[in-house]
Amino acid sequence: MNRKLLTGNAAAAWGARLARVDYMPAFPITPQTEIVETLAAWCADGTLDGRLTVLESEHSMLTAAAAAAATGVRVFSATSSQGLLYGMEMIFGTPGWRAPFVLVNVSRGLQSPVTLEPDHNDVLAARDSGCLQFHCASCQEVVDAVLLAYRIAEDHRVRLPAIVNLDGFYLSFTREPVTLPTLEQADAFLPRYDAETTRFDAVAPVSQACAVLGGGPYSYFRYETHLAALAALEVFDAAADEFTAHCGRHYSAVEAYCMEDAEFAVCMIGSFATKAQEAVDRLREAGRRVGLVRPLLVRPFPAEALARLLCGRRAVAVIDQNLSFGKGGILAAEVASALYGRTGAPPLASYVGGLGGRDIRAEEFYAIADELEQAAASGATPPPRLLYSADELREMRKLQAIAHAQHREVQP
Amino acid sequence: MSEARLQRFQRLKDLPTEHLLASGTAMCAGCGGLQAFHQAYDILGANTVVVNAAGCMTLLAVYPFTPMAGSWLYTAMASAPAGAQGVRDALDLRLAKGDAGAREMEVVVLTGDGAAYGMGLSSTSAAIERGLDFLYFCYDNEGYGNTGQQASAATPHGARTATTPQGSSGTKKDLFAIWAAHQPAYVATVIGSEPLDLARKIEKAQCLKGPRLILALAPCPTGWGFDAADTSEIGRLAVRTGIWPLKEYVDGKVIHTKIPQPRLPVTEYLKKQTRFGHLFQPGGESTLAEIQAQVDAYWSAAAA
Amino acid sequence: MYRIRFHGRGGQGMKTASRILGSAFFHAGFEVQDAPRYGAERSGAPIFAYVRAARAPIRERGIIPTPDLVVVADDSLVAMPAAGVLQGLAEHSVLLLDSAVPAEEWRRRLNVAGPLLVLQSGVDERAELRFLGATCAGAAAGLLGNVIGKADFEAALADELATLGEAVLAKNRALALDAYDRFAPQAGLVGEGAAVAANDYAPPEWVDLPLEPADAAAPAIHAAATSIEVPTGLWRVQRPVLDASRCKRCWWVCSEACPDSAIAVAADGLPAIDYDHCKGCLICVAQCPSHAIETVLEREAA
Repeated sequence: MNRKLLTGNAAAAWGARLARVDYMPAFPITPQTEIVETLAAWCADGTLDGRLTVLESEHSMLTAAAAAAATGVRVFSATSSQGLLYGMEMIFGTPGWRAPFVLVNVSRGLQSPVTLEPDHNDVLAARDSGCLQFHCASCQEVVDAVLLAYRIAEDHRVRLPAIVNLDGFYLSFTREPVTLPTLEQADAFLPRYDAETTRFDAVAPVSQACAVLGGGPYSYFRYETHLAALAALEVFDAAADEFTAHCGRHYSAVEAYCMEDAEFAVCMIGSFATKAQEAVDRLREAGRRVGLVRPLLVRPFPAEALARLLCGRRAVAVIDQNLSFGKGGILAAEVASALYGRTGAPPLASYVGGLGGRDIRAEEFYAIADELEQAAASGATPPPRLLYSADELREMRKLQAIAHAQHREVQP
Repeated sequence: MSEARLQRFQRLKDLPTEHLLASGTAMCAGCGGLQAFHQAYDILGANTVVVNAAGCMTLLAVYPFTPMAGSWLYTAMASAPAGAQGVRDALDLRLAKGDAGAREMEVVVLTGDGAAYGMGLSSTSAAIERGLDFLYFCYDNEGYGNTGQQASAATPHGARTATTPQGSSGTKKDLFAIWAAHQPAYVATVIGSEPLDLARKIEKAQCLKGPRLILALAPCPTGWGFDAADTSEIGRLAVRTGIWPLKEYVDGKVIHTKIPQPRLPVTEYLKKQTRFGHLFQPGGESTLAEIQAQVDAYWSAAAA
Repeated sequence: MYRIRFHGRGGQGMKTASRILGSAFFHAGFEVQDAPRYGAERSGAPIFAYVRAARAPIRERGIIPTPDLVVVADDSLVAMPAAGVLQGLAEHSVLLLDSAVPAEEWRRRLNVAGPLLVLQSGVDERAELRFLGATCAGAAAGLLGNVIGKADFEAALADELATLGEAVLAKNRALALDAYDRFAPQAGLVGEGAAVAANDYAPPEWVDLPLEPADAAAPAIHAAATSIEVPTGLWRVQRPVLDASRCKRCWWVCSEACPDSAIAVAADGLPAIDYDHCKGCLICVAQCPSHAIETVLEREAA
């Protein structure tokens, strides 16, 4: 075991290294670039026996990634935000090839306005693509999730690409102690890639990614992709057990923290969930029975596990670091659909916060817990809320005053 | 590559009589693009991975029917060269790591003009810059043919399309020159009506390493408005009027492989296609003159 | 949990400082989180980095609202509200400034409740800046000498500066260990702050955003040249100063060369440097044909 301080980006690169990836198509974008740079250095000095090719766009990068996967090698790539969107045609276009690869996304808010800081609208835009989605809460999880993602994505029941998400800045540039599996442990957990029949060979011609005529065959292929994604739920559990056997740590598709006797629960994904964990500890110290539920897996969506954990609680808050304009928090809607019609389905309060890297302070978690108690007592679910303070609005007004002032007439 | 192999195609009767690309595809009857590609495929052989960009030929492989004797991968409109990069890199990695199943294969991009001249130009340019070892084959039917012939960057001046009902005001982009400016291993123009010239060029390209680009004018009965039986005749006229110069770029030099002598007037080519029909109505004279002047200027410059 | 912030300018090695201290805590057996915070990495612009260290796994994330120790590598940042140096200082918070100005004077100027210390690193030349990060980390580690042993700190220096080469590493080590030793007598001054309690907290004062007109609610600036509101002169550590007697009133080389439009030529033909916006790049000094512009340390000019 090798415990060292690593950024989330370095952890992602280590995941690729331990997975002995063959091919790394790349394109730089903040805050992901360090992953590519680290891998490039390892390829250059022979640490990694692979090839890194810098493409001219994420669209091309993802085309090359999927094409290489379809040719029969283990592929790793990484992107973020606008880059993920620029490559989105291929994110949606290639899962149906059933050629697995792993893509790390370093979450960063989408324009407009342009920002460098994180939220989850980028990765959730890929929600319906057929790519599996893992959402990491720590740098340790990044390296482990990359290995898990390969194992699950390459399983013959699944054979789909996987996205491993980590939050920009809060994980990408933040160092934490990370226990790296040894190469032997990683090898024992993750066997060499078996392309099965998904490869190009001179002796066995194959026409891949063909068109169809008509909705019948189209429906067949699409639904098979859906079933493969669903199969990843079961595969996840088995792979997680294997991971524990080889590497020690254990993961569940949904992490439950202090949920045994919890009356109230907070549900969220990503690195801010550890802030919620900290708040749960403080609330417990104050005698409040609050717990945390954190899906590590967002696609496939672990609906049954969530329902088991949340039904019977007095109230649940879903905190979304994303915003579907004209609807609200995406995770809130997903959780609601998992609970709908079930016995003991709790009232769900929806909060949107942490957009563009905006902090969620301890006080806000406490206030959310208070609102949950009031909701349970009154039977009235609070309306959806943006975590946004009077101070922030006052600051915004100052910025607007500058943006709308005719400071200096520019003479033509 | 030996000189002996390069001399395989001396006469028309040296061309293959049995063909590798299977029949049964969804291409239009009389497709000039398919005519050129099937000739090229005979030379390229089955030991290939054809990486396809969105266009008419997306429909070559419609599940479960494929005409390919070798392998095929459909990608997207913009990024077939990037797909070729991924396939090439993965094949190299498998070969380097001793994968017995990965025999050396040629990676071929197959694209229409819509992708080649427009959306896919960035990924093509980048693949050439990276020195990707691939063969790029563009069937140029001078418009977005698969969607009913709207104007593309390859549409010639004056041609009527679904989006230029009064004739295109633009000028066909000189893709050959754009490619040559990247100084790749090889660039050539071809046409299905000159199969010997085409075969020699594909063979020459096969002997080279690095980016090799083939631009085939693809007479399109559906989009250009002529009888399907006339595809070869239209192609021959494109060459004999000088509208479609057959040439190659190699070692920094451009060589014309067939110089039409004497050149027929461009009207001989234009008048056979309904897309130019309006030019033969009163008011079309000046455009016809412009087109003739452009062709004359091209060949004067080429002779200089 | 220890919560520590380093403030400096891009190029002053605050990320390195946070990494060295983080690594030292790690060697001392702590759980650690360290991170830099910057938007676009611009030399001279204010940045900060932070370290959290605790005996149990750390779940807090992001900026540190209430620090136990604040280390400031550049005392000119104190007067810059945007740098946020004094933000969240509590009664127990220790403020350590690298400054030529003595601590008593700073205590007089700033109304801070907690201990205020001054590190006189003497680093003010550009060439020396690469040693400032390690020096600041050394001072901080010295103040934490009750929990970070000298051997832990030395191991951290080796970890974080290994790629710099022997000579640079040696000088960094010497400066950093000197700073460690100077502050080690005050080890224990920095204490561990408490987390905000859940039964006694200030409510977050959430507001409901109203729907506003699209032109106000889009990130569009309906005004010209508002960037003059940004005092980029504060990035400067050295300033160009014109010697009018040597200025040849040329065709305004300095004015054309200045990337920031911070040199205008007055009617008398003499250039005027806008120190509110001059970032201190010193292209004008390098380009002036008659050597009429000289470099002056900001702290000496001010």
